Amino acid sequence: MKAATTTSKVGLVLLLSALIVAHSAFAGTVGNMFSKFDRTMATFDPIGKHIRQPIERAIPRLQFRGFFRQWTDVLVDRHGDTGFRNQDFRFLQLQNLFELETNYHITEGLDVKGVAHMLYDGAYDWQDSDGLFADDFDRTAEIYHTGERVLRELYVSYRRPRFDLKVGKQQVAWGKMDGQFIDIVSGMDRRESVQLETEDYEWRRLPTWMANTTFHFGRTSVQLLYIFDFEEDRQALPDSPWASPLAPTTTTDILLPARRPRTGHFSDHEYGIRVDRSAGALTYGFIYMYAWDKNPVDHILDTPLVGGERVLRIEPRHERLHHAGITADYATTFQNIPVVGSLPTVFRVEALYTNGVRFADSKKRAAARAGSTTNGTSKRDTLRAAFASEFGLPGRTTVIFQASWYQTLDHKESLGAGFGGGFGDEWSFIPVAFFSRPFAFTRDRLSVEFTAFPLINGPDTGWGGLKTKLRLSYKFSQFIKGNVSYNGYDTGDSNDVYGQYNKWDNFGAELSYEF
Amino acid sequence: MNSEARASSARWLICVLVALTSVMATHAADQEPTWRSIENMSAEDRSLYDPSRSTPRDGSIPYIPAEPYPFEAPYTSEEMGYRSAEFAHVSRWSATLIDVFGVVTSSGYINQGASILLAATPGRQGLAGYIHDTTPGEVYTRWTFYDTFPPESEGAQQLWTPFRTDKDFRTKMDYFIYSPQLRRVRRQPEPRRDQRFPDNSQTFDDVIGRDPWELEWQLLGTDVLFETLRFPITRPTITLNVPGQGFVERQTANLKPMGDNFEHYGPDGGIKCWVIKATMKPNWLPGYKERNLVLWLEQTTFYPLRIEKYGHDGRLMLIEERMGKKENPTLGDFGYAAFGSVYWNLDHDLVSYSFHDAHNIRNWTEEQADMLFTAEFMRRQWLFEPIKSQTRIDSPDKFFLRSHLYSDKFPSDRNVALPAEIDARYRAQETAGHLIFETGGDAAPQ
Repeated sequence: MKAATTTSKVGLVLLLSALIVAHSAFAGTVGNMFSKFDRTMATFDPIGKHIRQPIERAIPRLQFRGFFRQWTDVLVDRHGDTGFRNQDFRFLQLQNLFELETNYHITEGLDVKGVAHMLYDGAYDWQDSDGLFADDFDRTAEIYHTGERVLRELYVSYRRPRFDLKVGKQQVAWGKMDGQFIDIVSGMDRRESVQLETEDYEWRRLPTWMANTTFHFGRTSVQLLYIFDFEEDRQALPDSPWASPLAPTTTTDILLPARRPRTGHFSDHEYGIRVDRSAGALTYGFIYMYAWDKNPVDHILDTPLVGGERVLRIEPRHERLHHAGITADYATTFQNIPVVGSLPTVFRVEALYTNGVRFADSKKRAAARAGSTTNGTSKRDTLRAAFASEFGLPGRTTVIFQASWYQTLDHKESLGAGFGGGFGDEWSFIPVAFFSRPFAFTRDRLSVEFTAFPLINGPDTGWGGLKTKLRLSYKFSQFIKGNVSYNGYDTGDSNDVYGQYNKWDNFGAELSYEF
Repeated sequence: MNSEARASSARWLICVLVALTSVMATHAADQEPTWRSIENMSAEDRSLYDPSRSTPRDGSIPYIPAEPYPFEAPYTSEEMGYRSAEFAHVSRWSATLIDVFGVVTSSGYINQGASILLAATPGRQGLAGYIHDTTPGEVYTRWTFYDTFPPESEGAQQLWTPFRTDKDFRTKMDYFIYSPQLRRVRRQPEPRRDQRFPDNSQTFDDVIGRDPWELEWQLLGTDVLFETLRFPITRPTITLNVPGQGFVERQTANLKPMGDNFEHYGPDGGIKCWVIKATMKPNWLPGYKERNLVLWLEQTTFYPLRIEKYGHDGRLMLIEERMGKKENPTLGDFGYAAFGSVYWNLDHDLVSYSFHDAHNIRNWTEEQADMLFTAEFMRRQWLFEPIKSQTRIDSPDKFFLRSHLYSDKFPSDRNVALPAEIDARYRAQETAGHLIFETGGDAAPQ
């Protein structure tokens, strides 16, 4: 017995030794492979080397750049019938975006810039699904095939020390916060619905034709916008991956095309002004914009009888809005904080008051169906605001807390969704928490980010669900990077903003190459 | 050749190698060390050094010496430290340049960037202006950076407005960024002073400089340096952007640590240095990660050619080696600026570099100063002064070498022991003449 035990021990030691040796050899081999891979990737920039550099050499006044980006989001599971949806698909997106940007310098202060891009989403072609066919009635869901979508920006800019003028198709972003508070100028392609993030706005914003001028007076700047084109928001289309499961797909009502502002009508144009000023540790600004609601609201025109049943004849309309907003930030460094010592901190605040928001009113709609004369809407004012604190912690760690508030003034229960207001309730509160840090053992090439978006509504609906996002990003080289992510939607009721997507938990992967 | 002949040849070769090694070792032993402790310093050097540790303080600024800056010989250790603080990574005058920088990991992953810097330092330039002409809490210079590489960062901008600081006002600067992806100007928390930047070896203080009154200064002795940052044999030339001349190709072997026009090179090309130890004062820098620095200061200008950083456990954390150049001749000995710098982070075997190409002194008009150095200017996405550089590195094997260790010098004040793995790569590099990565000691260029 003793001999057998000794033999076992010797065998175990030999086995462990062999494993250690094998592991060391394997680790060495893998290390060498990674090292060779890294050195190969370091110079891998085929478009930059063979296209960009020769073009820029041939035309010194031209700057040329671009990127290719591939996103894939896949549902953790498919759930079949979910609300009004048939969730028989797994891929939420298989998007490929290729963008080219050129800037031609004509003379001192005068430039022309053009940006074109092309998107193809394989989610409709590369999986077998009866629940996804938005591309049948709007091909833009699958591919950008119109000049309007392909030509992203084209403008002439003229710059003098105290004056800028940009005329043409362009996008404008206002504000300093994550999310959209005073960022109201350009429309947005919201095909990803609740999964649209601030970092995606650059590709999802819908540029418009406008004249954009800024005057600079020392620490103060005044920007004036005259927008003669109109781009509404594009929400997730029915029968697209992110179409709401709460939205019925059929109706007996008569739905007319949306009435939208027209470029040729001077009275339909939009105007905006922004004033910014910096004063030491504090910077602040004010905005005002006379604009259109980028999302139309259903107006009931009349209630004809169809087959003996009274139906609503509805025309979605965009509404004129007055927006007034503020933005400010302040920096300081707290000293002698336990554990972390000094604590560099920035505070940001942003708020937007909107006058004249049109809401669909379910009570009036019911009255219309019963024969009363009403357009089925109510007007209210709204306020949305956010306060954020950003902390620079040791280990290149960043933590941000951002409390976002959405309020419908003079609210009543029958109101639906409207610009800037609470989500189906008088107010909504989203205290966002964000954490990010790189890992030193990967020489900062690998980093992790975590964001939590809890939603609380009041005074009626209460808890509205939790959205979480965990993302790992990795730099393969100075030209190529990738990330994988998990997006979760939990704990909300099936009719909440996040809760409706409880079965949309998904993994994502992204690879991008910039040249 | 038969096997017997091969064996005979091998024996001869071994004998020759052994003999050569013996001769070299004997020669090395005969050579006098270049470094001298204070006790062994030459009489000439002694005459320039004042060993006083406690000198009168200034009446209005109690934490600085009473003797007016820039002091007169003989110099105390503290005065040498103050003089060295003149030469922060970014020069203390108004200028434009393109900062080309990069990092390479031990695996050969390389990440580089290029950023055009516009700097505006109003009033009296140099450290004297910082000490005497600005009050704590007041902005003393403004820097805007416009990134031109890599493509991911093109058009990204930063505004730094460093403050004059003291024990009561410790915020080092206001910091704004413009992100083309967000199309927004955002105020950011200032970087932590002792924390290296992501994907880099440099800390914030390595860039902006430490105030000399935050450190306790002690002269260790003198030394002679013959080279600082080292180009690999795989990079025999470099193309520089010289204002007024355009792109000029230079042999890397001919680049000197203090530039071409420096007058105090020895006959053998050596540069005499003061070697000085700077220990962080805990009441000025509470919780600071670094315990002390050891600096090699060129003897006539006090320009720091080499800086070593040590942690609280005594380990060597980082070596910085610089190539200086007289970029502002009107300032005489104070007109030197960092032309090239290499930083070797020994904790992660991370080597990074920064080259200041196309350095050009500027006198900004009032209109330009009002326009260029504000956060709102960044929103205009205006590359006000395009500057190009060709100093970027093509491939990892052309990266700068890890810094010299000089393990024999000042052994009682320096612990330069390396982890075995890094030490092996360092030794292999010294043989190969270029960086060696994690490939099992392969000395061939990759």
